[in-house]
Amino acid sequence: MSATSSSRDSNSLSDRFIALWERMNRPVYYVILIIWAIIAIAPLYFTLVFSFKPVASIYDKPLYFPTPFTLENFKTVIGAFDLFPRWLLNSAVVSLVVTVLRVLFCAMGGYAFARMEFPLKNLLFSAMLVSMMIPGQVTLIPNFLVIGPGILRNLKIGDISIPTGFGLIDNLAGVILPGIVAAFGVFMMTQFYKSLPKELEEAAMLDGLGRWGIFFRVVLPISQTQLLTLALLTFQGSWNEFMWPLVILRTPANFTLPIGLQWFRGEYYTLYSIVLAGSLFNTIPILILFFLFQRYFVQGIATTGMRDV
Amino acid sequence: MKKIYSAMSVLVLLSMILAACATPEAERIIETVIQTVEVPVVETVQVLSTVVSTQEVPVEVPAERVEIRLSGWASSPSETALLESLLYRFSVENPDINVRYEPITGDYGQSMLTMIASGTEPDVFYLDISVFPTYSQEGVLLPLDDLMASTGTSADDFIPALIDGFSFDGSVYGIPKDFNTLGLFYNKDMFDAAGLDYPTDDWTWDDLRAAAEALTDLTDPDRPIYGLGVPPDAGRFPIFVFQNGGSIMNADFSDTLLDSAEAVGAGEYYTSFRTDQIGASPADVGEGWQGTVFGKGQFAMVYEGGWLIPYLTDQFPDINYDVVVPPAGPGGEGNLIFTVSWSISANCLHPEEAWRVIEFLTNEASQTTVLESGFALPTRISLQDSEYLATNSASAAIFRGAFNGAVPFMWGVVASDVNNGMGQGIERVYLEGMSVADSFAQSAAEIRAAIEASR
Amino acid sequence: MTAQALQKQRKHRRRSEALVAYSFLAPYMFVFFTFTVFAIGYTVYLSFTRYNLLRPPEWWGLEGWKRVLQDDLFLTKALPNTFKYVLIVVPVQTVISLILAFAMDQKLRFRRFFRTMYYLPSVTSSVVISLIFIWLFSPQGVINQVFGLHINWLNDVSTAFPTIMMVNIFTTTGTLMLIFLAGLQDIPTTLYEAASIDGANKVQSLLYVTVPMLRPVIFFVVTTGVIGCFQVFDQIYVMTNGGPLNSTTTVAYVIYKWAFRDTTIKMGQAAVVAIILTMIIMVITFLQRRIIEGSGTSEK
Repeated sequence: MSATSSSRDSNSLSDRFIALWERMNRPVYYVILIIWAIIAIAPLYFTLVFSFKPVASIYDKPLYFPTPFTLENFKTVIGAFDLFPRWLLNSAVVSLVVTVLRVLFCAMGGYAFARMEFPLKNLLFSAMLVSMMIPGQVTLIPNFLVIGPGILRNLKIGDISIPTGFGLIDNLAGVILPGIVAAFGVFMMTQFYKSLPKELEEAAMLDGLGRWGIFFRVVLPISQTQLLTLALLTFQGSWNEFMWPLVILRTPANFTLPIGLQWFRGEYYTLYSIVLAGSLFNTIPILILFFLFQRYFVQGIATTGMRDV
Repeated sequence: MKKIYSAMSVLVLLSMILAACATPEAERIIETVIQTVEVPVVETVQVLSTVVSTQEVPVEVPAERVEIRLSGWASSPSETALLESLLYRFSVENPDINVRYEPITGDYGQSMLTMIASGTEPDVFYLDISVFPTYSQEGVLLPLDDLMASTGTSADDFIPALIDGFSFDGSVYGIPKDFNTLGLFYNKDMFDAAGLDYPTDDWTWDDLRAAAEALTDLTDPDRPIYGLGVPPDAGRFPIFVFQNGGSIMNADFSDTLLDSAEAVGAGEYYTSFRTDQIGASPADVGEGWQGTVFGKGQFAMVYEGGWLIPYLTDQFPDINYDVVVPPAGPGGEGNLIFTVSWSISANCLHPEEAWRVIEFLTNEASQTTVLESGFALPTRISLQDSEYLATNSASAAIFRGAFNGAVPFMWGVVASDVNNGMGQGIERVYLEGMSVADSFAQSAAEIRAAIEASR
Repeated sequence: MTAQALQKQRKHRRRSEALVAYSFLAPYMFVFFTFTVFAIGYTVYLSFTRYNLLRPPEWWGLEGWKRVLQDDLFLTKALPNTFKYVLIVVPVQTVISLILAFAMDQKLRFRRFFRTMYYLPSVTSSVVISLIFIWLFSPQGVINQVFGLHINWLNDVSTAFPTIMMVNIFTTTGTLMLIFLAGLQDIPTTLYEAASIDGANKVQSLLYVTVPMLRPVIFFVVTTGVIGCFQVFDQIYVMTNGGPLNSTTTVAYVIYKWAFRDTTIKMGQAAVVAIILTMIIMVITFLQRRIIEGSGTSEK
């Protein structure tokens, strides 16, 4: 690239296109964003509208406004089992614990893969990738055995039976334990940390900080955006998790919210209005969280002055 | 950012403490729930509004209680309330037994199989008749004959088709808890408008066809009305085969008869409704289930089970309808029985106590309660003259369907392959224009391959 | 210092670095060995057995493998459908989310509003989204009413699978956009400044600054997209159960069908399919690692 060429100078076709684009691009971006925003919000908007309509009007017009208006569906969901607040609490507990632990542990793992050298590194990374490729249906039973009754039953030495499983059936801890780290999270943090410029860490190393120090004082604050992204994804994944809590939790009082809400899917038919109302209960807490933590997504490494917001 | 970290760590600590304290409370909470549902469940769907009061009534329980784990799929909140009220009554009469109700709100089959595979299955659980052959062959169920004798319960107390369905190798392995059959639901207003007589239990295939023709009205392209719903559904079609004197499988489920003349003939009769445009599948009018289409008045007649009754009450309360037993074909009457049993796991540590739970849940008093709630039909022969059936003709018709020519919805170990074969067999006729004979021959070949593979 | 002493110091440093690395990885290793490794071993073992879950597995050698590799449903429906799905959905969702992220990175107004809107679909569980979509796409549902169509989306052999694809793209785009956005915002503006000093225009800075810096993130998005799409299950389970006429049956659905749904349970064969699926994904992932990440250029 010659230092003299500038957009003012040359009049080639591509440069004219680029100039035209520069003037036009704002409206185009807005159009793209608005179209997708409509697509994105439509299902949830209609869910909202129809959850306020009575069960008999599930397919009736008007589509865009909830008339006739009723709160019956929500009352049905909340009141049906007296357990609704309990389910909410269970889900909150599980999701919070999993999120905090997973973000921390994945960041640690990601940092190790991105910045450190150690034997078997490539093998472990590949093994981690492979572990994401295994379909969940076949891992259900072995994981259940490990969390619950144990891999080998009735293993005894003399009179003492040796547990080969954690024995956490019907316990929220059993839901939490396999989720405290996820290959997806480690992978994501690895890629993020790889694309992070090294200067800050090198500066810290010269200052004499060890790896752990650098991690907590430099790397974590810098990667705020990524950590929050992972936290949000983890929270939402854990909040909406269904298959695993279903096999682990037994007593209705221990259910998490999705398991409890499934109670409204009938055996032969589904009263959609109630299901839609229930699904809103599942969605709104996460939305609230997202709103609350929105501004932290924007912060980034403003402190270092290396980029502007 | 530091503030967030500290807030988070406090939250995590709090949650972990809560989680640790959470679990032991579970039992007490269940007792509360059971105790609040002490309202006699006579009204049908309005139960929900009465399940609100939460009074904690202290109950004296003996120190050593046998724990029985009971599980089933989760049905609607009102049905669950009904079951829990029954369990509460049981706990009052049997304070030495503590029944833990563990409903499975998701994939029942998957959860049960996972539990059985890991040796953690419940003591008492629902068993659908369609998977009964698979379960009973593998020895995971406890034979109930001795237990039945100990409380004087006889197999003869129950409707024969049902109790026989849950018998294997001469022993009973499940007590049917309720059942459903198919009935011919018809829209009275549409019959009146067309000047036709209502269907009766004596109807034949010809009557059905004639009525469907008269009731079809395709003048409005946005709202076509068809005489009969004919979905490609393996839970509906077999009754036509029975009514034509045929069968889907042979007696010991070792071969299929789907390509027999009777089955093909039934298939031709069934699919002719759609070919001649006097019937349609729900997909044709843009629905997933013909029950909805019936409710909307676009199918004048449908073959559906008793579950349609509460659905119509909920979703289409204005419809004016009634039910009769399915019309007979050239081979006589035929019907399908859908039923679920209470069964005990072969590994149950307290079979006597488990049996007491089942015996209570299926005795006359409990079954009468269930019947009067409108949710399900009882399986005891003694209840066929009950007042409820006398005053509810729709349910009575469904109940009657269990007697003449009714066959349980059970096709042996390869049931899912058989159902797929039937469903896809009809779908191919509908969507690809195949002849019934060719399509069923293809399905039969697939089913035979599945039988071979399962040996 | 002597050469020998230098070498010793280097070895010591490498060893302590290795120890530190392992301590960072300790939680991950714990979960990995307890759950993943055992599950893999168990699955491999099961693939050589005949297992119906109701009684203990019995050794079957290669019989299960033989049956799977000759199975009609697996070969003529599940495999082709799955590949079709991946080849369509991954590019579409990657491109859309990249465009959206790029648009979001411009200094436009209402960014926060848009970001929340886009994130909404991802927030709801796939099961619930599937239920909502069944209702939306039902022939009497909103989509047909709004656009004046009469298409039977989920029951028609030609439209059922595309509908599933639409649901998936809809759900994942918001999440992927967030990830791309986080990656875009990482790129230091100094690089852009340097490029424009060098006389690069927007297109050139896009090609020579943004894309190379985004490479690891693109690799991540495409890889997880491929892995996720090969395993697509939830939507099919809730919305179509593999129908109509097996047009929406994928490999992951076959696993579920043979493990839990059929009355003739073929858990051993399900394990075989799981292993085959894993191997397919492995091959494809490592191929694309070559293409996207390049050989060893991931660290500058």
